[in-house]
Amino acid sequence: MGHSTPEWVYIGAVTAILIWVGAESWNIEHTLEYAPPNSETVRVVGQQWFWSFQHADGTQEINELHVKEGIPYRFEIVSSDVVHSFNIPDFAMLMDAVPGRVNTMWNIFDEPGEYLIECREYCGMLHQDMRARLFVEPNTDNTTASQPESEPTISQGTGTATVVAPGGGEVGSTGTGTMRVVEPGNITASNESGASDNTSSTASDSGDNATTGSTNGTSTTSAAGVTLSIPAGAATPGNPAYSPDTLTVTKGEIIAVSNDDTAPHTVTSGASPGDADAGQLFDTSIIMPAGKAEIDTSTIDAGEHPFHCTVHPFMTGTMTVQ
Amino acid sequence: MVLELKKPRPIWEIIFSTHHTDIGLLYIIASMVALFAGGALAMAIRAELFLPGVQIFEGQADFSRFFTVHGTTLLFLWLIPFAAGAGNYLIPIMVRYKDMAWPKLNAVAFWMIPPCMFLIWGGFSDTTWNAYPPYSILKAPGPAADMWIVGLKLLGLSSVLGAINFTVTILKMKHPDLPLMKMSLFSWATLVTSLMIIVAIPTFAASLVMLYTDRLGVTGFFNPEMGGDPIAYQHLFWFTFHPEVYIFVLPGIGMMYEMIPTFSRKPLFSYYSGVVALIVIAVIGFGSWAHHMFAVGMSFTEKTVFMVGTLAAVPSSAMHVFNFLATMWGGRIKFAAPMLFSVGGILLFFSAGAGGVVNTAMPLDFLTHDSYWVVGHMHLFIMGTITLAFVGFIYYLFPLITGRMYDQRLAKIHFVLTFVGIAVIFGVQHILGLYGMPRRVVDYLPIPELIIMNQIASFGGWAIGASFILFLYNMIKSAMFGKPVDPKDPFELGHGVEYYYDYARREPHH
Ligand code: HEM
Ligand SMILES: [Cu+2]
Ligand SMILES: [Cu+2]
Repeated sequence: MGHSTPEWVYIGAVTAILIWVGAESWNIEHTLEYAPPNSETVRVVGQQWFWSFQHADGTQEINELHVKEGIPYRFEIVSSDVVHSFNIPDFAMLMDAVPGRVNTMWNIFDEPGEYLIECREYCGMLHQDMRARLFVEPNTDNTTASQPESEPTISQGTGTATVVAPGGGEVGSTGTGTMRVVEPGNITASNESGASDNTSSTASDSGDNATTGSTNGTSTTSAAGVTLSIPAGAATPGNPAYSPDTLTVTKGEIIAVSNDDTAPHTVTSGASPGDADAGQLFDTSIIMPAGKAEIDTSTIDAGEHPFHCTVHPFMTGTMTVQ
Repeated sequence: MVLELKKPRPIWEIIFSTHHTDIGLLYIIASMVALFAGGALAMAIRAELFLPGVQIFEGQADFSRFFTVHGTTLLFLWLIPFAAGAGNYLIPIMVRYKDMAWPKLNAVAFWMIPPCMFLIWGGFSDTTWNAYPPYSILKAPGPAADMWIVGLKLLGLSSVLGAINFTVTILKMKHPDLPLMKMSLFSWATLVTSLMIIVAIPTFAASLVMLYTDRLGVTGFFNPEMGGDPIAYQHLFWFTFHPEVYIFVLPGIGMMYEMIPTFSRKPLFSYYSGVVALIVIAVIGFGSWAHHMFAVGMSFTEKTVFMVGTLAAVPSSAMHVFNFLATMWGGRIKFAAPMLFSVGGILLFFSAGAGGVVNTAMPLDFLTHDSYWVVGHMHLFIMGTITLAFVGFIYYLFPLITGRMYDQRLAKIHFVLTFVGIAVIFGVQHILGLYGMPRRVVDYLPIPELIIMNQIASFGGWAIGASFILFLYNMIKSAMFGKPVDPKDPFELGHGVEYYYDYARREPHH
């Protein structure tokens, strides 16, 4: 093996490069790993096929996330069905949402603007549509807001009042089809899983709560004649979506809607989320699992009206108002 | 000397034979069927992605079935069977034994493959080739997913049986005059690969059973609702499939070790460094699997360990590249098709390796993971290195098998189109990944850059497809009407060059 000198030099050079790459990665990853203690916590729930966000003050958003520039945010990422991956490409942020686990990730958003949130792990039929929007809002309370990321000591994040006026979300509905902003209050007697305990939630308790969804929201049972239920399994294409899927009501009756499935659903007028008049006549907004809602038919014109679920557009039905 | 098709035989004689060259031929033909079938699916995938929105498929569900079957077919029905076929053909000759150690077992291992093809193609599952739970156990529609599981289970069994046969043939049936350290590097590569298969595959085989019982609902290994852990599956899966990428690539490296010295008309630069690199990677390759899982929420320590494990495996791959280049250095190189494909393979091996290092650097992986970058990375290896080496080897074996020469002009056109196509499509896919395009999507945002790059990628893909149609035509036409060659020196390399291995002196011991 007389010819081994050039080979050793070459192997040495390759090894040196690899050691450099490894050391540098270790260094950078080390700083990315641990969130500053004053971070504000946002719970991120991935489910087929949308993202929901719960802020520390209890505000909940669906498919839109509003944050303030310059504040450290710590995300607790969970899933309530299959594996998803929470990804904000512009900030190189990526973390899987795994059922039964709580993964965390943090960041300081240093550039106000509107960014894409997407799902990077294949999760089934509407995987490609599982997008949301991130709105980084200028931090008006803090004149040094545009400080670069290297200053995680800004102690701005301790108050919980920073988050979202849900109405402000409407700007975003230009992009993808199925955005809806939900205030906790506007779902009739549904259960808001996790809204009360997430201010300082620890890893273990929040995990359960996202996977099972407790059932305490059955206080209002409107005994009106007409009921519409969403049977268990409705989120799987091919299964019955609404029971009954053609229903007839007399104008003025109240329809009691119950979600008996383990996924969130809506009852929304229109044949599909893309319809120009989708949601114009009636819309329950998101009904959480085991949650309930009501549709008042007194404002709906007589006639035949198709409806669908904005989360699972393949779920459709028809309502006839007499 | 000419082993197969020179003297035509009735087809059933080949089909029911247990002779190693017949089985080898069957493997090679079956794997090429899979190559073309899987490639056809890829053409459809590229057509769909030519524009944003949903065009030729009905939606993500259809599309998912296509890329799942595409990936499964090309990994398990093209790469693995082709390597087994080439090994069947050459290993007994190279170790100078009359046949494989267990000819009947050999035939059984081959005949498990057609039923698997039926299961995988008949089911058309949508689980992706990783089949991550809980999707694969709770949501994936049956019977497709079940057929996929059973098909993969059988394929695993088939390759373990094949691997045992190779190991025994090489270690036990080797001619007594042939010391291990004089054995061809192709035999070394096959030996190392076989040992890796025996260690790696059983893990995945076990997790397939667990996946199946989970689907039936009788167990909950990976089902969080029953106390299971989906991440456990990912560990089991990658414990098999990171080593598996070396199982895919090492036979290709072994083939290059045959072709490059032959066409450089020069002895190999360093036999020892080749053997050492093969053995080292087989050991270290088992310590890096979780680099596929940086984003599942592992601790910082775990991530560091697997990053270091992955980087540690790189120098041995780099040693092969050096060995090839040093062999070519100063040689009187003849660029016949096998050499062209080998050199193309080396170039892309090197670039793909650089991309792999980027994936391995933890913070950068959060940019690339599950984006089109990963698609580009793996295809640069699988198409750009392994498939190029395999196809080059088909050209190399062609005169040996048929006694005729392929059409050399068509072969050169094939190479140029394929090489350019591969560089374009998979290079562009790396950039698409950096633009944030996730993999496995039927639709993407209508941003001009994404559209342009996807269209370039589609053209690259179709160029590859077109060139492979030429290849098929060339193979069929030349097998029937090609110019008969001098079996001693079909590539006209001149005197003093040993054609192939020492095939002419077949003195098998019994
Ligand atoms: C030897 C030939 C190689 C082959 C055939 C190969 C193949 C693959 C495949 C198929 C995947 C994607 C798996 C999936 O998610 O579906 C992958 C990902 C990956 N490869 Fe390789 N690879 C090779 C070499 C390397 C090398 C040399 C490195 C590192 C230096 C490397 C690092 C990685 C990493 C880190 C990923 C994970 C990327 C991610 O998902 O974020 N690979 N490779
Ligand atoms: Cu998802
Ligand atoms: Cu790997």
